Amino acid sequence: MWLEVDEIFKNYLPYYFLVFLPIFIIVSPVNPVYGASEFPVYRMQHYDLHGVSHGCRSAAVNLEAKSLTGWTTSRHCVVTRLKDITVDHFRNIKSKAGALLVMLPENWRNLSLEDKQNYMVLENSMLIQDVPVPIYFAEYSPRLDSIISELSYSINADDMTKSSTEALMSSVAANGYQISVSVGTPTAQNDAKIATIQGYLPGYSLDGITPTIAIVAHYDSFGVVPELSFGADSNGSGVAILLELVRIFSNLYADAKTRGKHNILFLLTGGGKINYQGSKKWLEEQLDLLDGSMIQDAAYVMCLDTLASNSSIYMHVSKPPKDGSPASLVFKELKSVAAEAFPHTGVDGVHKKINLADDILGWEHERFSIRRLPAFTLSSLKNHKNFHKSTIFDTRDSLDIKIMADNSKIIAEGLARHIYGISMGNVLGKSWDTNETHIEGWLNYLSNQPRSPQLLSDKDNVLVNILKDAFNKYLRDVKVLYVVPDKRDPDFQFYTITNGILHVCSVKPAVFDLILTLVIIVYLIAIYLFIDKFPMLYAFVSSLTENKKVKVN
Amino acid sequence: MTLYHFGNCIALIYVPYYLTYKQSGLYVCGYFLRICSHYCIFSSEYGAFWKCMHAGLIYIFTQLAKMLVLATFFPDNVAELGNDLIGEFLKSTVDLADLIGLYLVLSSIPGKGHSKVLTAGIGWATAEVILSRALLLWVGARGAEFDWIYIQKCFESNILLVQHIVTATLVWLWSRHDLHSNLRTIVTVMLVLTAYKTLLLDLLITTVSAGPWMGLLIKAAVTFVYGFLTLVIYGGLARVIGIF
Repeated sequence: MWLEVDEIFKNYLPYYFLVFLPIFIIVSPVNPVYGASEFPVYRMQHYDLHGVSHGCRSAAVNLEAKSLTGWTTSRHCVVTRLKDITVDHFRNIKSKAGALLVMLPENWRNLSLEDKQNYMVLENSMLIQDVPVPIYFAEYSPRLDSIISELSYSINADDMTKSSTEALMSSVAANGYQISVSVGTPTAQNDAKIATIQGYLPGYSLDGITPTIAIVAHYDSFGVVPELSFGADSNGSGVAILLELVRIFSNLYADAKTRGKHNILFLLTGGGKINYQGSKKWLEEQLDLLDGSMIQDAAYVMCLDTLASNSSIYMHVSKPPKDGSPASLVFKELKSVAAEAFPHTGVDGVHKKINLADDILGWEHERFSIRRLPAFTLSSLKNHKNFHKSTIFDTRDSLDIKIMADNSKIIAEGLARHIYGISMGNVLGKSWDTNETHIEGWLNYLSNQPRSPQLLSDKDNVLVNILKDAFNKYLRDVKVLYVVPDKRDPDFQFYTITNGILHVCSVKPAVFDLILTLVIIVYLIAIYLFIDKFPMLYAFVSSLTENKKVKVN
Repeated sequence: MTLYHFGNCIALIYVPYYLTYKQSGLYVCGYFLRICSHYCIFSSEYGAFWKCMHAGLIYIFTQLAKMLVLATFFPDNVAELGNDLIGEFLKSTVDLADLIGLYLVLSSIPGKGHSKVLTAGIGWATAEVILSRALLLWVGARGAEFDWIYIQKCFESNILLVQHIVTATLVWLWSRHDLHSNLRTIVTVMLVLTAYKTLLLDLLITTVSAGPWMGLLIKAAVTFVYGFLTLVIYGGLARVIGIF
């Protein structure tokens, strides 16, 4: 019986093998393991605004890695460091390469001013037009760094300066890398909704006339990579200062004796970086109300935007306020507070007309000015086109909390002087003053997470809920208003897939495997000869002991 | 091309086994007829193939027993080498079970001299190479990622083949009563060292901080010295008791 089985094995095994092995190979998963190296990567912005598409339009990558100077076709994924790439490179890659992977510098959260300026120019030029190829950013990692070095080195091996044997060797033994990011195709987020949170402090006056002041800040951030847009300054600083004002004035308004004559309306708007969609929608809702909203008789709308970058506050207006108007009064108060207590901080006015031909508004107050509301923006930036408003390098580490605390003091004090009608001496002080730790706490929380609009547009977003809770704690009539893009003609459209896992496989050229086969064949022949000649060795060894025995005897 | 690489690895790992098996099969065939008449009904139908299978089954059984012991007494076997030398030493002690397993193989498969030792060694080594390497290669070497480790593992398996044949020979020598008592001491020492060989070699390789290729070379050299010594002793004994 055993013999039969043995025979079956001996006679039929090879044929079975021929049938089953291919089947086995076909049914087993194509790529059982990915590379040993995996990196989290973040995809570039991808959104439509007013029908114009921005950012990179595709996501999946499965290409051969090449260095910045070594790539030639659209089958190559360019892998490079941020410091090496220029706008020209980018333009070239955008149209001809297969994909781009950029590694950020090790200290990208805290760069020197000059580096930051250079990178921001590049970042901005990336976002000007849409890009057909996938573009990913990775944070610094030593392994990725060594891969990039290796890639740029292997290019040098192709130099004509090397000898032909060296070139041949390097072409056989060179380490190649296969890059893959397995994600689906990006699809439009149809359920995106942008939250705008409002809260209210009612004022009180004997004659019953209580004008309204609106204080507005948008809470989202923007950069070339959504998942890395921490936006500490723009507009984490604005939100933190707004929340500090909420805290101070809600305390003051809690007591009937210190209640001001003005109603104060606090507004945290969403989608500020996508042309102030949150405030646009909010205004439409308010002005459509039949019984008239309090915003219609607003004394002024004060927008807070990017208030930590340097020691100066600019009041941006679309139309210079008339002398004696509330807006000009508050401007004077701000100026005098700065002059008294913070001489190094300058407060200036900047006048910029709204460019109606341009779809994109410069400052948030322009949304209100269009609707003929007196509005202005307070910002440390002099120009709305400053790249600092939309960069991933706007991080907590690169922010000076001192400047921000000073600016918040000026704003709080100036506002208080205007509300209480006291022009001389400090209104706020001691326990009523702005609290740096409170501001810093909010700033740290806000700048700890990416706040790009598409990341905040999901249902029940945590950040939105926390802001809402903060409003609920201090303010009355807290409401959340959602902006949902129009189905047919959306103002804005976000796309899924903001991050992914990058797999880097080291691969060898096909020639290498052939040469390896040759080496293995030579080795096996050597083994065969060794085994074949083993009886000779055995005889030799036996004769050794024989001699010994003879000697011993 | 990755399937091709897998093929390369398979050739590198299994062809030496096949060659050794073929070569030993020649010995086996020579003895086959003589053995037939001597042993029980089963063994008469035993070919070299089934003897190897038998050795493989005992290998599996031994490994299961070892795993049971390891899992009971050393629940965390992930420690870095060098952190816990005593623990590693005790773990290697469990490898002495391999010797018992080989002894079982040698005492349960029929045959004489060369063929017996070779079938035991090859069967044992083949079972190990199939159970411990096949899956690794199937999963690893077929992937898109290239890594030298698979080629290195293949070479290591080739060295292990020599090692297992040597161990089988040593166990056989130890079980002989007609071995000279001096030689017997040497054989016993070598057997005990076999169990700790992996640990000692790993220690050596880490202390001289040799790369993986250098490590392989050291392992190969040590194994061949070992093999040569064993061959000398075996040759002497074989001549005395008259098997060729």
